[in-house]
Amino acid sequence: MKFIASDRIDGLLERLGERGPVWAPREPEGAAGTVLFAPWRPGDAVELDRFTTLSAKKLVLPASEKLLSFSYSLTPEGEALDITGADQGRGDTVLFGARVCDARAFTVLDALLALPPGESYQDPGYRSRRRNLLVITLACTAGDAACFCSSWKEGTASTQGSDLMLYPAGEGYLARSVSPRGEELLALDIWEDSDLEPPELAVTDRVPFEALEAKLVGSLFSDLDFWRELTAKCVSCGYCTYTCPTCYCFDMYDEMSSSRDGERCRSWDACMFYLYTLETSGHNPRPTIAHRYRNRIGHKFSYYPANQGPVLCTGCGRCIRGCPVGLDIRDVLRAAGER
Amino acid sequence: MSTIPRQGKKALEPLRPEKATVVDVIRETHNIKSLRVVFDDEELMTSFTFQPGQVGQLGVMGAGESTFAIASPPSQREYIQFSVMKTGVVTTAIHELAVGDRVTVRAPMGNHFPVDRWQGKNVLVIGGGIGMAPLRSLFLHMMDHREEYGHLQLIYGARTPSDICYRDDCRDWKQCGDVDFITTIDTGNQDWEGRVGLVPAVLEEEEPSPENNIAVTCGPPVMIKFVLESLGKMGFRDEQIYTTLERRMKCGIGLCGRCNVGPRYVCTDGPVFSLKELGELPDEM
Amino acid sequence: MNGIVDTIKNVLKETDLVLGWTTDPVTGVATPARFHDEKEAEQAVFDSTCAHNLAVHLPRLKDSRVGIVAKGCDARSVIELIIEHEVQREQLAVIGVGCGSLLDVKKIWRRYGYGVAIKDRDDSLLIGGEQVNRDEFIQRKCHGCLEADPDIYDVIAGEVTGEIPTDTVRPHPLHDMFVSLTPAERRSFWREQFSRCIRCYACREVCPMCFCRDVCIMQTQIPRWAGGAVDAKQSEMIQLIRVNHLAGRCTGCGECERACPVGIPLMLLLDEQNHAIEEMFAYGAGASLKARPPLLVFDVNKDIWGKG
Repeated sequence: MKFIASDRIDGLLERLGERGPVWAPREPEGAAGTVLFAPWRPGDAVELDRFTTLSAKKLVLPASEKLLSFSYSLTPEGEALDITGADQGRGDTVLFGARVCDARAFTVLDALLALPPGESYQDPGYRSRRRNLLVITLACTAGDAACFCSSWKEGTASTQGSDLMLYPAGEGYLARSVSPRGEELLALDIWEDSDLEPPELAVTDRVPFEALEAKLVGSLFSDLDFWRELTAKCVSCGYCTYTCPTCYCFDMYDEMSSSRDGERCRSWDACMFYLYTLETSGHNPRPTIAHRYRNRIGHKFSYYPANQGPVLCTGCGRCIRGCPVGLDIRDVLRAAGER
Repeated sequence: MSTIPRQGKKALEPLRPEKATVVDVIRETHNIKSLRVVFDDEELMTSFTFQPGQVGQLGVMGAGESTFAIASPPSQREYIQFSVMKTGVVTTAIHELAVGDRVTVRAPMGNHFPVDRWQGKNVLVIGGGIGMAPLRSLFLHMMDHREEYGHLQLIYGARTPSDICYRDDCRDWKQCGDVDFITTIDTGNQDWEGRVGLVPAVLEEEEPSPENNIAVTCGPPVMIKFVLESLGKMGFRDEQIYTTLERRMKCGIGLCGRCNVGPRYVCTDGPVFSLKELGELPDEM
Repeated sequence: MNGIVDTIKNVLKETDLVLGWTTDPVTGVATPARFHDEKEAEQAVFDSTCAHNLAVHLPRLKDSRVGIVAKGCDARSVIELIIEHEVQREQLAVIGVGCGSLLDVKKIWRRYGYGVAIKDRDDSLLIGGEQVNRDEFIQRKCHGCLEADPDIYDVIAGEVTGEIPTDTVRPHPLHDMFVSLTPAERRSFWREQFSRCIRCYACREVCPMCFCRDVCIMQTQIPRWAGGAVDAKQSEMIQLIRVNHLAGRCTGCGECERACPVGIPLMLLLDEQNHAIEEMFAYGAGASLKARPPLLVFDVNKDIWGKG
């Protein structure tokens, strides 16, 4: 297999940089130990041992983006309105050091946002960014207590959504291409040949969720006390949705830049917020935290699988690691399974 | 899952609205206005088709867009009509519009009343307040194709005489003799010639037969609740009863995630549901 | 003198529920819990990982008789909530706990991995079996602890520390660096920090004093104070609104900074403000039930112009 020594990773990143901006896990200065996917520039340290707090989803679904610009003007015929579509695309971009759960998240989102033309609505911005994203994934030889990707059949061995896989071995990484674009990368002259064996991959927590698809629209849906009990400590912030690699819901709104010009934009939104479904009349179909959390779990483990196929979760554990109140989604899934 | 097939530009840029111009503003009540709009793109206006019950996103750039039922019938090719109650930011901006002002439209969206399946049947339409908007489209459509339906009855309720929308239409329906049209108000006054009483009560007085009949109702949640009860009492089965759902929406195309009731999205799978279909949805109204 | 479990059991005789902590079996650290009966109360713990300020739940429990386990810092929030009529003293049974200092579990997890074994003994801290300097891993706020023992309680569980509280707001560790900056540098410091903000509002939702919750002014449509974009400019605006609304109300519990997923030092803003308010009005939020917040009682004529 092809191999690259750890001390030559910078060289690899520089070569990758020739294709477009490179995003890699880094610990920003003054961020209290947070590791994030951030643009990499020569000289920047890359953090490949620890997990990132935020997922890489903003590379395909920016936290906020312009959809349209508009401008009103006065003409002899009256008021005129100009609407121009914003360029939502992004050129070739390299994501380096994603984990299996991050890469697989892209394929989960593809099932809704990048369906072939004619099958359903499209998300042109997502499609373009997704098409131009090169994903280099670091396989996990160790997980932490929040990881539960082994709940899915392939677990840590999945290569879905990746172009090139890196496996820790010796003093560096073995590389395997899993797409034609990955193959191109292996043709770069920075790899050595190696006889090293690929490492044994981590086995993480397994949470059974297959039975939930039916239950979540049936007996569990009407059991609001179940949800009340499990979410008693939840404070309804957007931590879990915003750090999730597969939560894709968004808000749309207009921003005026002058009295005549403005933009229509969209931003991440969180189904855990009260305002998310609040209607102008004052009616809110999901008025309490229990209602909203029920929808969150229902969407991930029932509605999305029923409508799109995959479960809207990859077991990355982000929603668990940093939840301000220590709410563990696995406790909810297990309790739901036993109900 | 019903997914409305899309072609061309819309498939590529579903969130990009079409430009349109206000050609008429009708003040219906103290807080409801009807706007008639025309696409700027003449070709689009000519080719624009929809079915009764479908909705559209009417927007004012700078304020945003909201989902409204299309209140004009499919046969109306000159304009598209929306009726808007002033409640929030977008509807306030819409209420400030005058003839000639520029708006945006994304339409048609969602499913529709299955009028083809109702051919040969009697249809009972029960509306309240602003809920008449999709029913106006439906009723006018059925009158356009009068021979395809049996007995047509419309019960329309409002709180007071001044809360009645579509006055011209009401006069036509009353006069045409070909349909059974009843207006009722919660509290009457001396000039009021129609019925007085809550819609469900009037419905029970009329006691329409469920035989070969379809009931469609749309209006305030509390009215719908009691109308459904009354229909049940009269022997209407759930698959004979239709209503529309309303939810807060942003994208209108099943992506943004807020209008779902369990696995069904009101924006793409709805807004029209039979009571049977509603019964199969998780209870999150 | 009773331990935490027995105390909670006793308090449950007179309350509907008790807010406390239990140990998460996966991580071995404390997680917030609600106890409704004796059986549930068996699971209660109090240890140096009980960082969460449970007072945040009180405004949502207005119709219940609530027992709440409170450290010294949490008790300040309880006091401030009573002063602001968000909760009635009569509906509460405060179970005071003396607190040495709290571990910064998030910091430990970020460095050693989530769920790493943590053994906190009197003078030593073992993380994943490795002995570390405990001081390095305690919550930042504990370095300037205002109240090791609660000022308000109905019953004490365990032992109080008997420590004399620090009598003044201790500056944030970044204080010296921050005040040495020029205004332009300060601005770019915050722009850089807020460029990481994802607008998850965890800072607001865990704050006991941010009880406007679902009707928070940051998200009103009319007027619209903050735009919708997720960017440093909007986040800065949002945080300035929040900090301003906490003037004379922030008890310094540090929950916002603890909850922030991207490590923004929010308490630097609040500590600076708390310090200024202490200097100007001799007021520390949550210090005493009898005190009245300066924004409530400040009289421009009297307090500035000296006219009664």
